[in-house]
Amino acid sequence: MESVQENITVEDLKEGSDLLFKRIYEDNRDKFINFARKYRLSEDDTIDVYQDAYIIFYNNVMQGKVEVFTSSISTYLFSIGKYLIFDKMKKNNKTINPDFDLSLIRERDTLVDASFDLDQDELTTEQVLLKKHFSTLGKKCQELLTLFYYRGYTIKDIILASDYTSENVVKSAKSRCMKTLKERINSNSND
Amino acid sequence: MTNQDLLYHYFSNSLTAEQEVVFRKLLETDAEFKAEFEYENNLKKAIKSHESDVMKSKLKGFERNLNAKKLFIFNYKYLAVAATLALLIGWFGYNSIFGTNYSNLYASNFTEYPNTVYTITRSDDSNTIEREAFIAYETRNYQIAIDKFDAIPETSQKSYMSFYKAQAYLGLEDFGNARRLFQQVLDENNEFQGESTWYLALIAIKSKDKDQAITYLEKLISNHFYNKDKAKELLEKLN
Repeated sequence: MESVQENITVEDLKEGSDLLFKRIYEDNRDKFINFARKYRLSEDDTIDVYQDAYIIFYNNVMQGKVEVFTSSISTYLFSIGKYLIFDKMKKNNKTINPDFDLSLIRERDTLVDASFDLDQDELTTEQVLLKKHFSTLGKKCQELLTLFYYRGYTIKDIILASDYTSENVVKSAKSRCMKTLKERINSNSND
Repeated sequence: MTNQDLLYHYFSNSLTAEQEVVFRKLLETDAEFKAEFEYENNLKKAIKSHESDVMKSKLKGFERNLNAKKLFIFNYKYLAVAATLALLIGWFGYNSIFGTNYSNLYASNFTEYPNTVYTITRSDDSNTIEREAFIAYETRNYQIAIDKFDAIPETSQKSYMSFYKAQAYLGLEDFGNARRLFQQVLDENNEFQGESTWYLALIAIKSKDKDQAITYLEKLISNHFYNKDKAKELLEKLN
């Protein structure tokens, strides 16, 4: 399995195959639990951290923050996971041992890839509202806006990845989706 | 270049250095432009959060399947002990098992069954859970497809759904759950009898259970038309 993972490229992951994501999740899960044991987290907490690390990894790949893997996927997951564990411990005021200065570990440069976005900030009120109404949009609008804003696709990329036939069709579909979203938000704030 | 074009290039990561200067300047000087940028940037964050939620629910599904699989492996270990004992008392009927490449046989015969039951048209804006399940299935988002099939209320369940849910599990290589659902299709005498028998034979091959695979293939050849010729070929390779 290790060799399968080593052959996976960023492009493979960007295709979004559930099976591939499932394999990576399963291949690293037990190793991560073993690794986290020394920090005395409960297994449930460890799984939570592992999943959060996995989501951060996923978002960075999908948003094009990483162009090529400079280390194995396991190293990425462990590196992010370690950052999250220390962050969690620091928030809970836990210590690993009295001689260990957690502030040394939280630095971003301990990560495999300094360009990684570790943003786990709470959403603002406006963002919560946008998220709520985004999820009420039709599937096509959700997909289009996701390709554009989340994946950072150009209109040409969108045409290649979907069944839109021309740039004008994409542009007008996007305008319609944005208009619907704005209308729904406005009608919500008028309620 | 319009302000809209600048925003477009910003969000598609395609601003040139020159455009970036104009972009930064506008953010400082044009309140309307800044407001539109912030709106779209907030939308970007909202969508990222939405995508994270979708991924989180997939990971929870993987975790559930993993726990179910562990239980299956645990039970399977007892069967393995029984099989070893059978070998020890001199039953070597499985001799040829070591000469067959079961993974190759599985891979060369497995193809995902197409969606033949639910028509997804572009003009159809209805957002039923079933539609979402089949969209996820067709786009190979198998975990989402399973979650959606599970979310369909009992009153709206159709006889073909177990078959497609089993297919989604196959897509995730969760053979325990796939086998259970294909067997359910056979037990309940639903449509896709021949197809389910075929996939059960393939799962048996993947699990290197030659006898079981032969039983399913023989059953398929005598009772159904689906993949009859392929089943005969496979049977020859196994014998």
